[in-house]
Amino acid sequence: MGYQMSTVEFNNVISKLLLDYRILAPVCLEGKGTFSGTDLVTYGDIERIQDVVFDRKTVYSAKEAVFPPSETMFYFTEEEFKQPSVDQKGILVFARPCDINAFKRLDAIYLESGPYPDPYYLQLREKLKFVLMECDHGFKNCFCASMGTNETSDFSLLVRSEGDQIFCLINDTGFEDLISESLASNSIRKVDLQPGFVQRNKTRLQIPDKLDNSLFSHPLWQEYASRCTGCGRCNFSCPTCSCFTMQDLFYRDNPSCGERRRVWASCMIEGYTEMAGGQEVRKTQGERMRFKVMHKFSDFKKRFGFHMCVGCGRCDDVCPEYISLPRCVQKLQEIKNGGVR
Amino acid sequence: MAQNPYLPHKVKILEIKRQTKIDYTFKLESSIKPDNGQFVEVSLPKIGECPISVSDFGDGWIEMTIRRVGKVTNVLHDLKEGDHMFIRGPYGNGFPLQKYKDKHLVIAAGGTGLAPVKSVVNYFNDRLDLVKQLNLLTGFKSPEDVLFKDELEAWSKDFNVTVTVDQGNKDWTGNVGLITGYVKVMDFPNPEEVEVIVVGPPMMMKFTVQEFLKLGVPEENITVSFERKMCCGLGKCGHCKIDDTYVCLEGPVFNYTKAKELID
Amino acid sequence: MSVHTKKLIKNAYRITRDRDITALRIRVPGGHLPVEYFDIIKEVAQKYGNGTVHITTRQGFEVPGIPMEMVDKVNRLIAPILKGLEKDIGVQVNDEEIGYPAAGTRNVSGCIGNRVCPFANYDTTDLALKLERIIYPNDYHVKIAVSGCPNDCIKAHMQDIGVLGQVEPLYNPDRCISCGACVDNCHKRSTGALTMVNYRVERDEKRCLGCGECVLTCPNSAWTRGSNYYRVVIMGRTGKKNPRIARTFLEWVSEDTVLKVVANMYDYIEKHIDRRLPKEHVGYIVDRTGLNVFKDEVLKEAELDAKAKVAQFIDFGRYFYDRNQM
Repeated sequence: MGYQMSTVEFNNVISKLLLDYRILAPVCLEGKGTFSGTDLVTYGDIERIQDVVFDRKTVYSAKEAVFPPSETMFYFTEEEFKQPSVDQKGILVFARPCDINAFKRLDAIYLESGPYPDPYYLQLREKLKFVLMECDHGFKNCFCASMGTNETSDFSLLVRSEGDQIFCLINDTGFEDLISESLASNSIRKVDLQPGFVQRNKTRLQIPDKLDNSLFSHPLWQEYASRCTGCGRCNFSCPTCSCFTMQDLFYRDNPSCGERRRVWASCMIEGYTEMAGGQEVRKTQGERMRFKVMHKFSDFKKRFGFHMCVGCGRCDDVCPEYISLPRCVQKLQEIKNGGVR
Repeated sequence: MAQNPYLPHKVKILEIKRQTKIDYTFKLESSIKPDNGQFVEVSLPKIGECPISVSDFGDGWIEMTIRRVGKVTNVLHDLKEGDHMFIRGPYGNGFPLQKYKDKHLVIAAGGTGLAPVKSVVNYFNDRLDLVKQLNLLTGFKSPEDVLFKDELEAWSKDFNVTVTVDQGNKDWTGNVGLITGYVKVMDFPNPEEVEVIVVGPPMMMKFTVQEFLKLGVPEENITVSFERKMCCGLGKCGHCKIDDTYVCLEGPVFNYTKAKELID
Repeated sequence: MSVHTKKLIKNAYRITRDRDITALRIRVPGGHLPVEYFDIIKEVAQKYGNGTVHITTRQGFEVPGIPMEMVDKVNRLIAPILKGLEKDIGVQVNDEEIGYPAAGTRNVSGCIGNRVCPFANYDTTDLALKLERIIYPNDYHVKIAVSGCPNDCIKAHMQDIGVLGQVEPLYNPDRCISCGACVDNCHKRSTGALTMVNYRVERDEKRCLGCGECVLTCPNSAWTRGSNYYRVVIMGRTGKKNPRIARTFLEWVSEDTVLKVVANMYDYIEKHIDRRLPKEHVGYIVDRTGLNVFKDEVLKEAELDAKAKVAQFIDFGRYFYDRNQM
């Protein structure tokens, strides 16, 4: 069922939701951009609908809601391993179709790959529900339509903002009461509402269906070796990058206590494959780029049946060296077609 | 929270044997039942965690041979008998022992690569009738780096053991030279019947496998074991992934037909 | 012909090597201007000058080849520049039809700043305009430049007052993934104020320049921008006696403090200048009065917050041309 209401009325709905949920959405952090005088649009907690940025793409993705950049796994005391307690509240995340579809990728790694589901991911993932944000037009560098991730039915609410009016579609019976309670007292109107999805992006990709080892020695990768600086921004902004590294430490003011945590890892940053003793299997940025591209557009699919990349284009948005992942895939397709030599 | 597979358990160090200046063998009290060639994640809380292959195991104990190469292993080497460390696992796939039955089994191990196959050697040494013939070729950098000296001596009484060092010294009276040199001169009248295990540093594995192939040993008769960076051992952290394969899950032991396709 | 040279000079014209011919200096505060003024500069050069224009080291324009008798006409022609680049930004200009009211205090120059440059920590043009409002028109010979960051591309260290942008980097350990890029970069490019301890970054506040390199380098926004601050370097100069590079007088001060200190400096000059000399540069006045007198007077009523640091002593070094034995 769809409803139309004023932002004031919708904020009442949000207030009610906040009793049971932590609500995360794209927000604008003023002056927090990398460069002086620029803002950072990223995920943050919201308390009213005006806090939500509808018209810009976030730099970082919604994955942080269940896969934080740094996460404590255990606290150590003298003899004990203690797992940190978790907030009992649910998590409601405003997300676009690509980002919602990205969770299917994270689920594959964290819940399906290997013998056990990841308990840290699972305990947050179970609490997670989506508020769909539509994209009336794709953003710069988006290519979701090419990845088939431009649509989703996995959402509890759809929220559309037009002027001072909010349109809200309830797609999860668990949320019906919430609106109907508010419905009696004021001017909330029932409306017919259907989610709109982008069907075409400016950037279009044809994913080469058979990317294999024969491309590994192509000079294409050497170009990236000279361009990429290995900063890892592409990985950290990616909604599907799931790698982590574990760290142990002791507290300096109490060395008998400490913690084990995991932090995001980047396959583009030196050291990702480095073993104790210093041996590293991928040493150049070209090899690292090749590994990342193969993972996103071939390897993952072989294992899980669908491509990892969701076409959000953030890696392209954030690369300080203007390296475009979709452009690289286009080049691979051209090579496959006998175009680029 | 669901059962946490990251949670290690405490194990007691029963015995520490100094193999070389930088390689110690730790015998731990543990009831886990690993397959030959599997690994465990060893940790010291507040220091860190690292994957270590199980070099041997028995009833109520496991043994690991650990080289001092980093943060965790440096501290591990300072532990004493009776101290504790933490482990979780075992993880990965071990060696397909059934496959070697009634075959001529040649095990080629370079350096610390001998550790993950030590239990395989022991297994067949105890059951020599299971294989047609057993050969162990093992190479080390120098006489000071030779691991499992006692075991090598004992094994050599029962089956054909070749120990070689890259560079000898005045006291060394044994073989000198790379393992590949000793593979070259092997003679397999029926190479189809030969099963080979190659474990060691990447370059050693690459060239040793090539020599066996030259002798006519079919690719599918060669087993190798990989060493990669692994944080979780559970197919999540991503560090060990090659192609669509997670070394921690599908490896570290691979048939060469698979291994040759795995380009990092 | 009869020319009151002192008046002419004060009107931003100069006595040139060619008899009866002058040159006009046009101020461009912060070195950034709307291109519409190019048309006027072009017209002055074509109609009254020799058809060329010189870009000055202080980021102004100098139009040479103007006959002295044309000065009044030129002044009327440049009225829109005086209005747009001076009066409209708040500079006291009583009559924009009669040319520049003073030439002693030079154009405030600035690097391109954060409107364009990724390294800059603030809008240098904006600060230049604020300074211009305070110090101009004025006959005291003072040179000021503003730089967006400690790279100091504008060479603020060669000025009487140089202002360098600082930013307080804020660290969010929860976003840090211990990649070490900031630590590495700080050591290579800046002062090495960062170290990795227990997989987290520690900043030595004493060493930190506030250059913002850590914020620029961080791939995960673990470092973000806090408040803006300024480093003020003083009494750098060139000249025939004792050229020297400016030294830090203030660090981690607010924009208000910078503006107050500059305003106070003019009172200090007024009080201490040696009027027997044709024009005494402020640096030589400080050499005479000592730093402490300067410090006390310029910091009068300047609010310094807890972060602010003031130099207790400045060693300018000893570089005199006449003491160099060749």
